[in-house]
Amino acid sequence: MTARTRQTLPPGFLLPVRDGETDEFYLNLGPQHPSTHGALRVVVRLDGETIREVVPRLGYIHRGIEYQAERDNVLQFVHFADRFDYLTALQNEHAVCLAAEKALGIGVPERGEWIRVVADELTRISSHLIFLGSFGTDLGGTTTFLYAFKMREAVTQLFDELCGARLTTNFLRPGGCARDLPEGFVQKTRAALETVKRGMDEWDVFLSGNVIFQERTRGVGILPADRAVALGCSGPVLRGSGVEFDLRKKEPYSLYSKFDFDVPVGSVGDCWDRYAVRVEEIRQSARILEQALDDVPEGPWRSKEKVSWRLDEGSWWSEVETAKGILGVQLESQGKSDKPWRIKVRSPSFSNLMALDEMCRGQKVADLVAILGSIDPVIPEVDR
Amino acid sequence: MGLMENVPKVLDPLPGGSRLADAVDYVVNWARSRSIWPLTFGTSCCAIEMMAASMARYDISRFGSEVFRASPRQADLFIVAGTIVEKMAEPLVRLYEQMPGPKWVIAMGSCTISGGPFYYDNYSVVKGVDRLIPVDVFVPGCPPRPEALLNGLVLLQEKIRKETLRNPRRPGEPLSAPAEDRWARAKEAWEELERIKDEQMAEARAKFAAEHPDYKPPKPPRAEKPAFPEVAREPAPHAGWNARAVADAVHARFPELKLFRLGDVAPEVLEARPADWIPSFEVPSGKLLEVARWLKDGELKMDFPLLLTSVDRLDRFELVAQLMNSSTSARVELRVPVEKIFPEGGSYAAGEKNQKYGATAPSLVPVWPGMGWHEREIYDLMGIRFEGNPDMRRIFLEEDFPGHPLRKDFDMPGRAIPRHA
Repeated sequence: MTARTRQTLPPGFLLPVRDGETDEFYLNLGPQHPSTHGALRVVVRLDGETIREVVPRLGYIHRGIEYQAERDNVLQFVHFADRFDYLTALQNEHAVCLAAEKALGIGVPERGEWIRVVADELTRISSHLIFLGSFGTDLGGTTTFLYAFKMREAVTQLFDELCGARLTTNFLRPGGCARDLPEGFVQKTRAALETVKRGMDEWDVFLSGNVIFQERTRGVGILPADRAVALGCSGPVLRGSGVEFDLRKKEPYSLYSKFDFDVPVGSVGDCWDRYAVRVEEIRQSARILEQALDDVPEGPWRSKEKVSWRLDEGSWWSEVETAKGILGVQLESQGKSDKPWRIKVRSPSFSNLMALDEMCRGQKVADLVAILGSIDPVIPEVDR
Repeated sequence: MGLMENVPKVLDPLPGGSRLADAVDYVVNWARSRSIWPLTFGTSCCAIEMMAASMARYDISRFGSEVFRASPRQADLFIVAGTIVEKMAEPLVRLYEQMPGPKWVIAMGSCTISGGPFYYDNYSVVKGVDRLIPVDVFVPGCPPRPEALLNGLVLLQEKIRKETLRNPRRPGEPLSAPAEDRWARAKEAWEELERIKDEQMAEARAKFAAEHPDYKPPKPPRAEKPAFPEVAREPAPHAGWNARAVADAVHARFPELKLFRLGDVAPEVLEARPADWIPSFEVPSGKLLEVARWLKDGELKMDFPLLLTSVDRLDRFELVAQLMNSSTSARVELRVPVEKIFPEGGSYAAGEKNQKYGATAPSLVPVWPGMGWHEREIYDLMGIRFEGNPDMRRIFLEEDFPGHPLRKDFDMPGRAIPRHA
């Protein structure tokens, strides 16, 4: 550490330079790194092995989706929604469709809403399963990835039958869904749920009960509830800190008010709590799905197609609780055009990642990977 | 590599040596094609399918490629999985250069082939990774299924088996001789084939028309289009809070504030709002911090910064902030007009591209720390400076990116190819 770098910190670092001799240096992580979940780059300011400050450098996958959205109509935007957070594609589409439905006054028949709820919950399970796999891998156990993907393939298979695609589904439309349920979908979903539930019981034995895993997650990366709220964190990160906030309960959309489920909440706000909340959410999603599968409404799966997508002047906000948190879509129109004037996507990972610095301060550098993994950010959604 | 290149040079002049060199070629290629170690590199959706391909169900290890290496120095194969944007281009090229030869590249997915869905109207995506590094196999799909990636791998193995240790250029020619233009030759051959096909088709059509003078083609069968009913939208009412009460509370504290697009706060205006309405107030820029402080610390306790964004209204900017109470989920939306400041007293000229102006707004970071990155995003994409934000830098784009892309007068034909020109 030379005298020159002491006076001028690299851009983004805000903590003042301390007097006296310290062992400060900077460590770069990413954009190509197996545990940065894609293209995230993090610069860490270290004092020996202790983290003083973490500055994420974003933009390595900034694709300008909002710029493109202004140049197409709302229907054409649905498939872009798959690509901000590809793990929760159907939930993103749901948010976009809700905004379009608000703007154009389109209603959804009951079967359409039912399919959406089932798709949303299956998505939540599949997204959390990827989290479980990658979190275990981040902490050094590659086996978890294999087990998580085994369970996830059962769910992905359902998407494949429902939408014709495994990942970027492009399935929901303003007014309902693109297609009806395929034959035998209910029975196959039940079978997949059995696989997932059995797998989760196994999971508790080999990962949740693992002493090394617990040692590496308990008490690491604590985020107090008031800070989580002030930073705008949502989803399992907020609930892990002990704030019981879930849009499915607070602002019930679709058919969520009809189902009986619990919102799991952590107590300390450490990595373990965020992990445990997600594990429990998989079980709760399975519970919602079981209730849904018992009572499949008949009828049309979408309302009449719109001929024109022309928007009137106005602003509309829609929001959905995705597996990562609150995903909102702000749609602005100046009228006289089918192209929106502005679409802003409020992505949960963006706000959740803001808490990384606070969680990491004072922790050891080896815990950075655990903390980053417990936030479960999807970088294309952060950068959009 | 150097030693292997010399094998044919030494063996070829010997009697029967070229057969021996062929045998060495065969063995080396056999070994190389069956243990290709890929680099762990994925930026977006395709990476998940790449992982799925390496998991139990698709099992890439059947093809000898399960050893994903995190360091480019240990990898042979660069599977470019996911969109590559301009900022990523430099690290990508550096990773490729760090890989030891012989090395191969698979471009996985539409984005890496041509930009895919991000080809038109996009200012940041690189339109094809072959503009940066040489690509051996292209795997189309958005994202390609794991089977497609495996197929790409098999094709790559086939390609490797055809490689040779000999100098690919003709013997006797200097290394600087231009390589053969295979593309032009392939194009000529293709055009010739097309011409022959067209001639044959025309002949066959004429023959058929002569033999069946009154033939009419059958109507293609069409799937029956289901008729869907018109369904009226029913706005879902807020579960835990009352929008009217929130609007009245703000009005009681700040009577001068007007509702956005609706004017004064009046009972008949509030009455006519739909059930899912969120109270939205127009706040002048100078009053923003006062209103924000009251919203957070006053009776409404809006402690959760839900949204901060901006809209370019041509003659001015408009900030949109949505605040939430994290226990009741009560909301309030603030709309803050922000003036565009032109140098030397200019003003907004309709239709003119890339105009020079700036704008400033007070930062909300002192009230809600979670607004920090949202403000940086607005600064990056719209060019509004926030006074009081401790870290006012661009967040996504490079520091030297020309202009702010979400401004309506942003135009850069070299970067963004318009779809509807």
